[in-house]
Amino acid sequence: MRHVPTLLRRELSAYFLGPMAFLILLAFQAIALMNFWQLVDDLSRSGQSFSGLRDPLNAYISGSLPFWIGLLVAVPVLTMRLVAEERRSGTIEPLLTAPVTEAEVVVSKWLAGFVMYLVLLLPFALYLPFLYYQGNYRFDLGPVVALGIGLASIGLMLVAIGLFFSSLTRNQIISAVLTFATVFLLIFVTRAAYTFAQFRRASWAEAMEFVSIIDQVNTFGSGQLDLRFLVVHLSVAVPLLYLTAKVLEYRREV
Amino acid sequence: MIEVERLSKHYHSVKAVDRVGFSVGRGEIVGLLGPNGAGKTTTMRMLTTYLVPTSGRAVLSGHDVLDEPLEVRKKVGYLPENVPLYPEMRVREYLSYRAKLKDVPSSKRRRAIDGVLEKCKLADVESRVLGHLSKGYRQRVGLAEAMVHDPDVLVLDEPTAGLDPMQIREVRALIRELGNQHTILISTHIMSEVEAVCGRVIMIVKGKVALDDRLDQIQERGAIVLEARGPLAAIRQALEATPGVTRVGVTDHQGDVARFEVLTQGGADLREQLAGRVVQNGWSLRLLDLQKSSLEERFVRAVREASFAPDDLTETETEAA
Repeated sequence: MRHVPTLLRRELSAYFLGPMAFLILLAFQAIALMNFWQLVDDLSRSGQSFSGLRDPLNAYISGSLPFWIGLLVAVPVLTMRLVAEERRSGTIEPLLTAPVTEAEVVVSKWLAGFVMYLVLLLPFALYLPFLYYQGNYRFDLGPVVALGIGLASIGLMLVAIGLFFSSLTRNQIISAVLTFATVFLLIFVTRAAYTFAQFRRASWAEAMEFVSIIDQVNTFGSGQLDLRFLVVHLSVAVPLLYLTAKVLEYRREV
Repeated sequence: MIEVERLSKHYHSVKAVDRVGFSVGRGEIVGLLGPNGAGKTTTMRMLTTYLVPTSGRAVLSGHDVLDEPLEVRKKVGYLPENVPLYPEMRVREYLSYRAKLKDVPSSKRRRAIDGVLEKCKLADVESRVLGHLSKGYRQRVGLAEAMVHDPDVLVLDEPTAGLDPMQIREVRALIRELGNQHTILISTHIMSEVEAVCGRVIMIVKGKVALDDRLDQIQERGAIVLEARGPLAAIRQALEATPGVTRVGVTDHQGDVARFEVLTQGGADLREQLAGRVVQNGWSLRLLDLQKSSLEERFVRAVREASFAPDDLTETETEAA
């Protein structure tokens, strides 16, 4: 794993030397600004009781549709080129004939995607100190930490999903569509299924709530750092990384 | 330096490389020659561990490509066909990145990069973006990258493809110079390239080694060209019956005059015996010449022989079935 820092640096510089990362950063910055505006606006109307405002962080992130749509678009866009582009341009040939292992390549690309994911979420975190100090709104710090860890853990899973699909094809569009569909499933379909199951009082409602990312973020945002969720995320991410390395190894056989 | 034994690569039912075997000693510059699609690139990809052979063995610099791929990669510098590069990186940045990946110790890295920049005449473009470089410069960056870790073996896949004549001269001169320190395997389908830089040639046709010989020996071994007036079949038979003759080919035939190309065992000069045969039979001898065979002739012959080989017939039959 000693080549990981070198590989990681190249992956990150590749992100920032293209326009895509900046467009997405800009979009997330806009979403964060809007949500923060909304949050401050809601908080300043004292007297009115918004049920969501008992957990202000949930109104800020997990209750925000633009945030989820942004994430749904950002994850495929950030991960689609990771391997597919190397395959299309042929740079995978010098990469995999250098004395590096497939595992090193996969881990570096995964970490690069994950770092970009964290950078996307950074604006949301940056606004909170203003609220705390400037706005003198003393919210609990615990939920913020839990939410940060939870979102990071979700990112580890989502980026691994995107990386895996990127390794399957040389076409970035195919990779993006497959990732988009999977992330859509994890964010919106699970949520809809949970609502439906709850309405029907079906026994699988609890299972759906458990895998629904929106509900996971709600849990984290209300201050519960549920380790079971972290286990779920890692138990999706790690096998996918293993499979991605295997896909790269298999490519040498055919 | 390079030992290859019965190396094969099959893609489903297609035998891209079929039981290829050869060995290359230290300091040799060997040309891997073959028509497009003959299996040169596949062979090189197996040697550089990019592809895993279906069967057979390849050992580079003492390390087996299957058992110790990482060790092989450390000892081999590889210039892939078309030189894939990251378009957004700068020349020096790219070389530095590759040197790090190839475990060039940081104390030597700067000197190694300066060295290859100078050798490949890249110093004046070192801060240019790779995506903006001309084909010739890209090729040189590829070469510089291949040798930045001072490998024992250089594997260069069509190093002069797409270059203009001046650039080709420069790259060839560079390769000749590198031959002093490295063992080099070059693939190409250009004859003059092999003649210009290689000491030895291995021809690959339809995935098989069709010829493996030193260049000077190929050029030494000639063919006898003979033109005579008389019945074609009879003359041919008479020539074939001469002791020492291995093959007689008809290269031209107009009226009752025919021109033959006679190959002899070990390239022996049998001109007198052949002339004697023709004259004894009462045919008139119009021309007799000993021609040094050029690489191109050997190449064309090898390709033709391979396309009429019995093995090939069975293959097409099974494909049709």
